[in-house]
Amino acid sequence: MLPIRSSRRAAAPRLARLAIAVSLATTCGAGVSLAADVVHVPVTDDMLLNAQRESSNWLMAGRDYAGTRYSPLAKVNTKNVKRLVPVWNFSFGTLDAQNTTPLVVDGVMYVTGSHGRIFAVEAATGKELWSYAHPLPENIGKMMCCDVGNRGAAVYGSKVFYATPDAHVLALDRETGKVVWDVTVGDWTKAQTMTVAPLVVKGKVVVGMSGAEYPTRLWIDALDADTGKQVWRRYTIPAPGEPGSDTWGTTDADIWKYGGGSTWITGSYDPDLDTLYWSTGNPNPDWDGENRRGENLYTNSTLALNPDTGDIKFHYQYTPWDVWDYDGVNETILANIDGKKVWLHGDRNGFLYSIDRTNGKFDWAREISVVNWATGFTPDGKPIVDPDKVPSYEHKAVNVCPASEGGKWWNPMSYHPVNKTVVVPSREICADLLSGPSERVEGKYNLGLAEADWIKGYGQLVGFDAKSGEKLWTVKAPSPFTSGVLTTGGDLAFAGTPEGEFKAYDIRTGEELWSYQTGSGIVGSPITYTVNGRQYVAIPSGWGGWTGWATWGGKGGAPHLKNQRKGGTLFVFALVDK
Amino acid sequence: MAGVVAALLFGAAAALRAEPLVNPLTADDDTVKLGRKAWIASGCMACHGNNARGAVGPDLTDDEWLRAYSDEMVFNTIKRGRSGTAMSGFGDTLSDTQIWQLITWLQDENRKRKAGAK
Repeated sequence: MLPIRSSRRAAAPRLARLAIAVSLATTCGAGVSLAADVVHVPVTDDMLLNAQRESSNWLMAGRDYAGTRYSPLAKVNTKNVKRLVPVWNFSFGTLDAQNTTPLVVDGVMYVTGSHGRIFAVEAATGKELWSYAHPLPENIGKMMCCDVGNRGAAVYGSKVFYATPDAHVLALDRETGKVVWDVTVGDWTKAQTMTVAPLVVKGKVVVGMSGAEYPTRLWIDALDADTGKQVWRRYTIPAPGEPGSDTWGTTDADIWKYGGGSTWITGSYDPDLDTLYWSTGNPNPDWDGENRRGENLYTNSTLALNPDTGDIKFHYQYTPWDVWDYDGVNETILANIDGKKVWLHGDRNGFLYSIDRTNGKFDWAREISVVNWATGFTPDGKPIVDPDKVPSYEHKAVNVCPASEGGKWWNPMSYHPVNKTVVVPSREICADLLSGPSERVEGKYNLGLAEADWIKGYGQLVGFDAKSGEKLWTVKAPSPFTSGVLTTGGDLAFAGTPEGEFKAYDIRTGEELWSYQTGSGIVGSPITYTVNGRQYVAIPSGWGGWTGWATWGGKGGAPHLKNQRKGGTLFVFALVDK
Repeated sequence: MAGVVAALLFGAAAALRAEPLVNPLTADDDTVKLGRKAWIASGCMACHGNNARGAVGPDLTDDEWLRAYSDEMVFNTIKRGRSGTAMSGFGDTLSDTQIWQLITWLQDENRKRKAGAK
């Protein structure tokens, strides 16, 4: 028996689901008490399509198909957030990057940890219901550029899905944690690894790949949710003769087999346009562009895909011929602004973009942080590059802004659709870069970097008007904000720091209203949900990932974070009575 | 009698134990450069920083690590990794000589650092 669905659901479909739940509970001899065991009602397409209205739940990594990470819950708000206190915590039992976004379905939380683990716990108490640890190869760590983390799970029907570092995708029974299917989609010995949170669209589990710091060719896969069988695969680097294959120069005939183009951030989906939006990362080698002169399609792009076939409808490329490791893999948030359908994308290249999601046309771009690698945009939205900021074997590009991690690092931003405000975790850090010849050996790093010095900077959280791109407010901090962002109907924005502080801000002004020290750096993403009408806020804490900005170079960074304590704990907060 | 047996066993164990490994290389410019090359090619900087002064992985140029541990322990950590952590073994991609070159570079960074601090 499983936890019961509560009567808090109000909409008609929810009542229907409740009736099923009660029926099942009665059949199984359990009472319809909220304190009783719970029934795992299947997660339906309808629930996923209406995830924004599932106020008690958090059904996918981005919370809804638009990827807003906005919850309408308002019991915790600007007036009472100071009374937020921890009510339970949960140890993952592993260290290193805790990059996850937890999910909540009807009182049960599904949360992944680093090193291939997943747990089901009672969302009101933290009591473990089951756990599963996927066995990992001993040497997997060196095949992952940026730590043995995981960004979250997906739910559909009676299953929960997650990807593992060694490129397995697993479906587990939500009730028991038993493995239903386990498929291998890549070869981890060639650094085809996985950290992505899957997205379920139309009965398919869509996943992306990590590994573009190594010579490999990456893709997006759609797997049948029932069986794990591959429905389609979309390589992000075209084979010879395919559209875009002429954008990789002429000096390396095999470059298409090794050109990178990772896909490790969860995409978004527009059911009205029936289009899946999924972003792609850097070409390989990262900083050495000598043998791949051209735009290097479809790296550093967002692909608009047919979700049934994986065919590319159109694309927009943020950084053609990337020689800075700007890695445009970040999320796309689908927003409807004054009748215009756009996607919003904060890129490591320093720009926040608004792109027409019906056709991929450039709308506007605004600086998140100081940008000097590009001096502007052509009318059709291509960046105008400053040649002095292009590193080569002979030219050390000095004070390139931003440094390789942004701008905006991968940690997802959030869009508040009521205030029309997008809140971006960011940083002001620049770097000196000298590229160098690279050596292509499968399973070995292939960076093309001779030297790099990161220049001391600082962190910031920026609120933007999503319509105009105007900066509304900026919060400065000693270090970059390294968590994802949550915005809520209580006019709050939650974000975390490398120092371990989990903070709440007034989304209208950026004023800090609340803070809690979690004991380790925060590199995961917050969520909020309710159980029995009580609102909870959750944040994973556990330092890790690639932090070149912290201590990479000799010119500074954030020395106070060197040897920052690792951790692996989920903290959950709720309001305490006055 | 028991003492005699223990002494014999201890003596036998000592005789069987190989001499502890020590870095066989000298810190000449070429060796240091090769060590730096192995450092970059193996992606060590992703966790430990460009100059090995620590990021999410620990600082490898300070006395705490380089001096508190023997050459053999440093060598084995790079070659075999540390179980239960993100530190993998690099024995399958780096030769023993390359590992010693890498250690030579780390030790050189340690020396430079201390000289710079004076």
